[in-house]
Amino acid sequence: MFLQVVDLVKDFGGVVANNHISFDIDQGEIIGLIGPNGAGKTTLFNCIVGYHKPDSGKVIFKGKEITGFKPFMTNREGIGRTFQITKVTAGMTVLENVMVGAFCRTDQRPIAKKEALEVLGFLRLENVKDYHLNELPIASQKKVGLARALATKPELLMLDEVASGLNPKETEEMVDVLKRIHQEKKITLFLIEHVMEVVMPISQRVIVLDSGEKIAAGLPEEIVKNERVIKAYLGEKYAKGFRD
Amino acid sequence: METLRDAFDFSDFSKAERIGLGLFTIFLLVFPWLGAGSFVKAVMIQFLLFSLFGMGWNTIGGYGGQVELGKAQYVGIGAYTVALMMVWWKIPFWVSMPVGVLIAIGYSFMIGYPLFRLKGHYFAIATICTSLVLQDIFINWKLVGAAKGIELPIHDHPDFLFMQFKSDVYYFYFIMALFYAGLFYMNWFRKSKLGYQLRMIKEDEDAAESLGIDARWCKIKAYSIASAFVAVGGGFMAVYNLYIDPYSVMDLDLSIKIALMAMLGGAGSMWGPIIGAAFLIPLDRFLGSWLGGQKGLIGVDFMIYAAMIMVVSAYQPRGIWGIIEQFRRKGA
Amino acid sequence: MIILDAIIQGILMGLLFALVALGLTIIFGVMDIVNFAHGEFLMIGMFTAYWTSLLLHVDPLIALPTSAIVGTLLGVASYYWLVKYLLRGPMIAQLFGTFGLMLFLRYLAQFLFGTDYRIVQKGLLVGKSLSLGPFILDWTKLSAAILSLFAFTLVYYLLHRTKLGRALRATALNKEAASYMGIKTDRMNALAWAIGGGTVGIAGGLLVNFWYVYPTVGLLFVMIAFASVALGGFGSIKGAFFAGVIIGMIEMLFPVLGHLIGSDFLGPHFKFTLVYFAYFIIVVLRPQGLFGWKH
Repeated sequence: MFLQVVDLVKDFGGVVANNHISFDIDQGEIIGLIGPNGAGKTTLFNCIVGYHKPDSGKVIFKGKEITGFKPFMTNREGIGRTFQITKVTAGMTVLENVMVGAFCRTDQRPIAKKEALEVLGFLRLENVKDYHLNELPIASQKKVGLARALATKPELLMLDEVASGLNPKETEEMVDVLKRIHQEKKITLFLIEHVMEVVMPISQRVIVLDSGEKIAAGLPEEIVKNERVIKAYLGEKYAKGFRD
Repeated sequence: METLRDAFDFSDFSKAERIGLGLFTIFLLVFPWLGAGSFVKAVMIQFLLFSLFGMGWNTIGGYGGQVELGKAQYVGIGAYTVALMMVWWKIPFWVSMPVGVLIAIGYSFMIGYPLFRLKGHYFAIATICTSLVLQDIFINWKLVGAAKGIELPIHDHPDFLFMQFKSDVYYFYFIMALFYAGLFYMNWFRKSKLGYQLRMIKEDEDAAESLGIDARWCKIKAYSIASAFVAVGGGFMAVYNLYIDPYSVMDLDLSIKIALMAMLGGAGSMWGPIIGAAFLIPLDRFLGSWLGGQKGLIGVDFMIYAAMIMVVSAYQPRGIWGIIEQFRRKGA
Repeated sequence: MIILDAIIQGILMGLLFALVALGLTIIFGVMDIVNFAHGEFLMIGMFTAYWTSLLLHVDPLIALPTSAIVGTLLGVASYYWLVKYLLRGPMIAQLFGTFGLMLFLRYLAQFLFGTDYRIVQKGLLVGKSLSLGPFILDWTKLSAAILSLFAFTLVYYLLHRTKLGRALRATALNKEAASYMGIKTDRMNALAWAIGGGTVGIAGGLLVNFWYVYPTVGLLFVMIAFASVALGGFGSIKGAFFAGVIIGMIEMLFPVLGHLIGSDFLGPHFKFTLVYFAYFIIVVLRPQGLFGWKH
């Protein structure tokens, strides 16, 4: 077992964001985590990676319990993550950003630089390496977030809405990049996607959250037919129509 | 080896910057022979001293982005260690100064550990508080001279061991040496792992943590580096002024001045603290001697000073160097 | 008995501390800015009452409205001329900005009035005291405490019962949501500074009855106010009240305790050190304060 989440509970002062969630991920898989807004997807990520401390339950990574580890500790164990929103800042160049990631595994600047350039090359970002984040389009910002995490050489990469805000062409490109990360770098992927259409083609398995509960898990083609899943999504769409 | 090369390697700066640094160095080397008066020499020494303070603050405050307003307590620790060891045990400066630095580092870890649980305003005010507590203790502590402070014994003959000289020139060259040691250290620091990590923490602390950076530990390390820098300066202040008291070496105004200068010049950049000090120290001194001395104008120098702080904070928080960088990027 | 006396004195002083902390906490609550110049607002309130009473030959208590007005104007002017611009910048610039204001007001006062320590010599209440059994209470302190309590209650009522107050609190809770509701945040910010300046102006007018006024008097009080606000929770009005009173008691009680056990480290010289130290301990152990809701 690669990543194991056992009976995880997170309660924000009465609002249960994650209610007894359990699931496993095997090495080499691509797992999608989907669900409507406010389903508790990001909270689950934060509990695994260590931004939140779960109220109960366990997180086990490569046979080692990492429940309650700080984010930097889970990273050192081999879990990388990206954020839904990459903070757009003007203080560091793209190359420097990725070098920080590479410094995670080395103390030598030349080595960090070499590795960062490698990752940038892999993601085809070499031509923007001297720009600052605020000078880049959103698709490139997202890729920098990805590059940073990749530079820490994770074994498991957790991606939070890596395709949100992208147009169809950019989304396609991103999906392609993810596939390459999976195949060439042999990294297990665990991704949150709000839009089903993005996650279905690449995920081998999908986990569905709704209102803090795990309501379904299985192959993508099973999930799209699942009654509860359809209801959760339709319900949200209906509510949206009502608000507008 | 790598480390040494990084410290002396300025090749990633622009040509203009390197030429500027070269000319500045030549100017400093010949300055004592330019026939400046003792007042101007004193201002120059102050400028180099505060550049050193500012460079230290720049590690945690500039690169790390932490609003640290309690550096005066470490100036005090450095100054008092040198002064007390000299008065009590006649221990030379070259021993007492490193001891002061070590005490400052130890103390900074002690204070830094709880301090860096805090963020934002809480942190900023807490740094002020720690400094005020230490100042209060020294004001009331009879053993260390309390509010009256300590006078260092003046030797009859110039004494290198105790850093006592008749002429300001020696002090000038000594602080200049310290200044360059600081400069080379900073040149290494900004390229070091810690430097990169601190900048990431300043940009986005959550993202930094996700990249395997122990943000709190990094901040504590940078804080103690900054403390060591100002403790060196504090030791120099003791032998240069030959008199210290809690008001001159531990005051809140001193803490603020250190941080302000770095910010005015441009926090988080190599030249920022130096530019800030080059700007504020002469202004401060000349305004002080020009206006402060005139009857009925007491405080006007500080009002001008304060007005400038407000204007800079409101219109150009990135400082002088920030403006230059902005123009350069636009031009490029 | 001496302890009970210290507690009563502490509560009287604490009510005034609470009034000083009130403005600081409102400004912080509404716009996340720490006003370093708050102590200087207090000092200006003190000087206003001092000069009004001296030049017009009236009791300092009657000069109180002028202190309130000057404080309010100072708050509003600070907001529109300085703080509004600071809001665009990073936090460090905001801190330095209000710090600059603090220095400016301090040295303006020094320029205008010199560095002398001044105190109100004549007044209805000055020098008179009330004996309650074994306790002797100065009328100046007692009236200051009562009027502080009154002012505090008034502001509390304003914030909780009036439409304007609700709008202000809505802004503090969520700026964006408030602006969607049609609340002009700019005006609300200015209002926060007006209330902040006004209340601390009143506090200054009350304080001058029994405390020396000099240009640097503010630092001490602003640090006490920081400690109170931290203890109560940044942005909490209720918290500022109780924390002010608690800090007042600590400040009076510890020297007495120190005297009783014969320790110099609790002596009167260190009573403010204790306040700073208390702040440090409070924020490290319980950063949200007693009644905190922000951060």
